[in-house]
Amino acid sequence: MTKPLRPALLSGILLAVLGSLCPFLWFVLTSFKSQIQVEAIPPTWWPDGSVGFYASALIEHRLLHYIRNSVIVAGATTVIALVVATPTAYALARLRMAGKAWILGGLLCVAMFPHIVIAGPVWQILERLGGLNTHWGLVLPYVSLTLPLAVWILTTFFQELPFELEEAARIDGCTGWQALYRILLPLAAPGLFTTAILTFIYAWNEFFFALLILTDPEHQTLPVGIALFQGEFTMPWGEIAATSVIATLPLIIIVLLFQRGIISGLSAGAVKG
Amino acid sequence: MAGLALRHIEKTFGRTRVLHDVSLEAGEGEFVVLLGPSGCGKSTLLRIIAGLEPQTHGSVHIGGQCVDTLPPPDRDIAMVFQHYALYPHLTVRENLAFGLKMRQEPKPVIEQRLAETAALLEIHDLLDRKPRELSGGQQQRVAMGRAIVRKPQLFLFDEPLSNLDARLRASMRVELKKLHQRLGTTMVYVTHDQAEAMTLGHTIAVMNHGRIQQIGRPDQIYHEPGNPFVAGFIGNPPMNLFEGSYRLHQRELEFRVGDLTLKVPFQVHDPAGTDAGTATLGVRPEDVTFDPPGSRHVAVAGTIDVIENLGGDSVVYLIVEGQPLVTRTSPVLRQHAGDSVTAYMKKIHLFINENRVPLPSS
Repeated sequence: MTKPLRPALLSGILLAVLGSLCPFLWFVLTSFKSQIQVEAIPPTWWPDGSVGFYASALIEHRLLHYIRNSVIVAGATTVIALVVATPTAYALARLRMAGKAWILGGLLCVAMFPHIVIAGPVWQILERLGGLNTHWGLVLPYVSLTLPLAVWILTTFFQELPFELEEAARIDGCTGWQALYRILLPLAAPGLFTTAILTFIYAWNEFFFALLILTDPEHQTLPVGIALFQGEFTMPWGEIAATSVIATLPLIIIVLLFQRGIISGLSAGAVKG
Repeated sequence: MAGLALRHIEKTFGRTRVLHDVSLEAGEGEFVVLLGPSGCGKSTLLRIIAGLEPQTHGSVHIGGQCVDTLPPPDRDIAMVFQHYALYPHLTVRENLAFGLKMRQEPKPVIEQRLAETAALLEIHDLLDRKPRELSGGQQQRVAMGRAIVRKPQLFLFDEPLSNLDARLRASMRVELKKLHQRLGTTMVYVTHDQAEAMTLGHTIAVMNHGRIQQIGRPDQIYHEPGNPFVAGFIGNPPMNLFEGSYRLHQRELEFRVGDLTLKVPFQVHDPAGTDAGTATLGVRPEDVTFDPPGSRHVAVAGTIDVIENLGGDSVVYLIVEGQPLVTRTSPVLRQHAGDSVTAYMKKIHLFINENRVPLPSS
């Protein structure tokens, strides 16, 4: 990198980071304001540090209840998607079979469908199956929507692992499955982490299907819960901001935790050559 | 009892046939080298022996037992891979023990074998390291250790030294030879490096285009190559090969290529029963001298094109009647490019219809 380029690049990076952080910063600030500050015109920048909105979000708006629902749905989606995607990706990466490119291309096409197009059919199917207003009724479409991406990411990871490792494992006495979980999975851990994070974030943030399928507040997830905070006459901006902060924190924590795993996994040299 | 027997192995991938009727036997404790250029099918053959790849036809016998239906773990073999294939997330100790653990050997046995192997390969200090903390040569040792620790009936090596630098390769070659002498286990070794093949093998099987071209002891392969491919593949610099026409006279054979006519004073029995036709004539660079040798030789006059002085000997590129002729002479030749010289061919190889025609040597 040449010297004159560096300041330009650095300011670009700063701009991008600030730009993406701005909305987040604003609702973090808002969440610590009082009702008077929130409605003040011209707006006040610095909050007085009150935590009243957090208290009312937790107590009046049953925040923990929504968090519980979101954890169940996003957690189940992540686990199921990984359990299904891992053997699928392994097979696509390793086995000699016809039409591999078509399968991968097909998966990509499915992932590209606009949600609104499949909303009607999904609703009808779930109605017949009795899946409306249940957690599994939401997990099911989430899994099928996240699977294509999960399979793609994991297939790439498995393809990058040298075939010789598996053959060595076979000769050392492993069956195909043993080679997969004793040798390949530990090495594909960064790929598994990445897939898990993306799937979890998707399921945690998803709003459209959650709104469509869950009309009963008992089962609603966080995004739907936040959206339905609005009362008859007022818009509870403070509570929404407080809830959004709480909803975002787990994602940040998860990403930071898994990031370590990703980096240490990537730095492990698999094979020389 | 044979250590390894391959009977009429054929292999096709889709419509491409990569192995044609390969048969090979190795005695107990023998070191067999599969030698050939890349893409000749030697690695595929090794993988078939290992059971990693099913053959299309034919059968594999290890220790007298047909193993065609057995998966790799049940074949009592160990394999050393070209890129070592050490498990990156396990320590050296765990890498070595992995195969024994999978076979549910009792702990004391594993400990004892580990100690033996570490002693044999001098890798005690490395046992607690991860593969990425090892140098190329150390990884190579561990890869061999992982094979040795299992005490298999048959070792398979897939170009194990090709990732090492030249100096390390030479020293590992010697170690490998010592190792074989110490263990006395049957070994099959795949390489494209003729020096490895010549120094390591009891038997060399030269392969090309999915066929075995010749099986023999290293000296047989060198001195009596069965066809022009083997003749050209073994030797450094490679054998001079001329494709031309021949005519048989009473006591000698006349060979023509371009403007060059060679009168070969050896009695030849033409296998085809005709006394003229096309043939390939070969002469090794080290069989060309600038001093008249014994009675029977072929003298040619040429000019020196290039001299490469290698210290102990020199490689001289001659032009003889428009044909290039490479010679390797010792001691170093005290002449210069452009000089006219007479060269003497001591030993000539003749191939008619791709087959060797024996000539009595001088």
